[in-house]
Amino acid sequence: MRVVILSSSPYSETGCAAAARLAELGFIPAGALTLPSWDRATLVRKLGQWGLRDSYRYAVAKLSPGKFATENQVRNPYLETMLKNKDREGIFRSLREVARHFEFPVATVSDQNSPRAVGQLNDWSPDVAIFTGGNILRDKLLKVPRLGILNSHLAPLPEIRGMSSPEWSLLRELPLSITIHFMDKGIDTGPILLRRQFRRAEECNSLVDLRNRMIAEGIDLIAEAVTGLDRGTIAAAPQADGEKDHQFFVMHDRLKTLAARRLKEGLKPVASGTNPSGGGNA
Amino acid sequence: MRSNSNSNASRSREKGKTRRALTEAAALLLAPQRAIPLVTKIASDKWRTTFESRHLYSYASTTIPTENALRLLIDWILNAQGRDGGVAAYYSLFTGYSDSYPEVTGYIIPTLYDYSTTTGDPVPRKAAERATQWLLSLQMPSGAFPAGLHAPTSDPQPSAFNTGQILQGLVRAHRETHNETEKAEILDRAQRAGTWLAQIQQPDGSWIGPAAYQGSAHTYYSMVSWALAQLAAESNDPRHAAAADRNIDWVLGQARPTGWIDGINLEGHPIYLHFIAYVIQGTLECGILRHREDAIQVAKRSAWVLLRKFETHKRLLGTYEPDFTRGQTFSCLTGNAQMSCVWLRLGEVTGDLRYLNAALKINEMLKESLRTKGPEGLSGGVAGSYPIWGAYQPMRFISWGSKFLADALMLEERLTREVERKFLTKLEASECAS
Repeated sequence: MRVVILSSSPYSETGCAAAARLAELGFIPAGALTLPSWDRATLVRKLGQWGLRDSYRYAVAKLSPGKFATENQVRNPYLETMLKNKDREGIFRSLREVARHFEFPVATVSDQNSPRAVGQLNDWSPDVAIFTGGNILRDKLLKVPRLGILNSHLAPLPEIRGMSSPEWSLLRELPLSITIHFMDKGIDTGPILLRRQFRRAEECNSLVDLRNRMIAEGIDLIAEAVTGLDRGTIAAAPQADGEKDHQFFVMHDRLKTLAARRLKEGLKPVASGTNPSGGGNA
Repeated sequence: MRSNSNSNASRSREKGKTRRALTEAAALLLAPQRAIPLVTKIASDKWRTTFESRHLYSYASTTIPTENALRLLIDWILNAQGRDGGVAAYYSLFTGYSDSYPEVTGYIIPTLYDYSTTTGDPVPRKAAERATQWLLSLQMPSGAFPAGLHAPTSDPQPSAFNTGQILQGLVRAHRETHNETEKAEILDRAQRAGTWLAQIQQPDGSWIGPAAYQGSAHTYYSMVSWALAQLAAESNDPRHAAAADRNIDWVLGQARPTGWIDGINLEGHPIYLHFIAYVIQGTLECGILRHREDAIQVAKRSAWVLLRKFETHKRLLGTYEPDFTRGQTFSCLTGNAQMSCVWLRLGEVTGDLRYLNAALKINEMLKESLRTKGPEGLSGGVAGSYPIWGAYQPMRFISWGSKFLADALMLEERLTREVERKFLTKLEASECAS
């Protein structure tokens, strides 16, 4: 099975962890396609998500490893095991380090849909690509891998598509779930390979913690999906509910407060199977 | 003939623009102190438009609490109210406050009552009462209210749209008035206005002719049918209810599967978001009052298209072409506030929190646009356009902008508290059960 990693930055922990995890399982990537580390849109987005102080600390930790202890080098602590370099002390801090270790090429492109990106992906002729972040992918790129491009979506599909998906699952009283699906032209509308309930929500102490744990579990599920595809034991099924608009958008902080309350206090009844219906649909 | 009348209209519009430019330049010469706020506002909007950055995960946020923003908006309206009780249409950065505007004074009345009810502040209530008395003094013998800005010396022309908007104010004033004689008087005047509207309505439900803007039918007159539906609910007169239904039937006939509703029909003007939002809001509110699921669904379809656009691009355009294909890139702030009201009401009706989510975000952006300090007319004012030189009411702070944003913020507070209360009650109940 020829696998390619698509990453939003050479320093993306999710991208590094996915590449390392698959390589450990024997699926050494045929290549990794990444946006540049100084991509303006990514930087602005990260500044917005993390704030100036955290972004600075993250950048320093990635670029000057000597100054920080190992635990400070990983923003998502649940990825640490996957990011550990087994042959020497320390962790993989960038895709280039993972690539050096497992001997696969990394290509940097300014846009994952650019002709250069499509050409590079064609050269690697992957069976499957793993999306760990970046641009909204267009048809030309989506068609390159023989089987398709996999995405780990942190919510049940088709019920919750789009953004702030764990938070919306909480507010809509849907079981927290991770769905591995093939990407298509729509937003999270492609055929589903795996859908699994996330059962460790009660251990989470915040929405950030929840998201971090789900990202890590999503990588495990990606690995399971790739293994299943390789062995021919799983197949994708198209999503139902094509008529309804299940797209969700970035959640406002005031609603996030409610989602956080539900995570802390109210998850038990839903986890045991009550009211998965949610509200109306537009 | 048609092309002759078009070129005449176009010439008259050009003349109007020139006249306005000359008036504004002259006003600035007479009051040079206005140059400072004018330049400051232009510079600050230029700065913001140059450096603001939007991305998929972002939304504007502000440090102005909703309560403070509301106070600023209401103070702006109170400052814009003249001695006669009428509220100015706008504050121009060149010419200052305009004359009183009957149409807007009418639909500002419910906003003032809502604010007083919410906060217990009696001043806006008094202002609403003065506004009502002024409007009653303008009613024509036919029951109609006049078009345009208040001009005591000119010959008043009846206007269906203005009558509808003033009707909203009268219906609310009737509900809020406790003196029986005054209450009966207000209802009688409101009914006369409603009956006039029903009488001049076309068999297809639209309004055309001399009482309609530019003589033609407009779907944004759904705001008139909303007022008629309010009157019908207050007076139980089936004629008013039937007139509202007839107009909504006509509006629904203009709806396309794309969510676009045809028939705004403003010759010589682009289709501003303000008018699109009028169509949707009138259709939705009339649909709710008249229990018309068909109207609610049509409004919902249009509102959802705009919600998706706002969520994806982080803003709404100032104008749209049919089927929302493209438009001008400035923001029509009052249109944004109106859409916020629509989304909040849809959130209330459907229970879908995505509407509340979008409204919370657009309200943040609108609150951020308010100036918290500064001279009267600027502080708490909602500009026609952002940036201020955009095509809709350029260089002006408009009273209906303040009205719709105040409505949106009050709705937001009410709905958010309701959602929080329901949510927490549910959580507590599930904790008890477990």
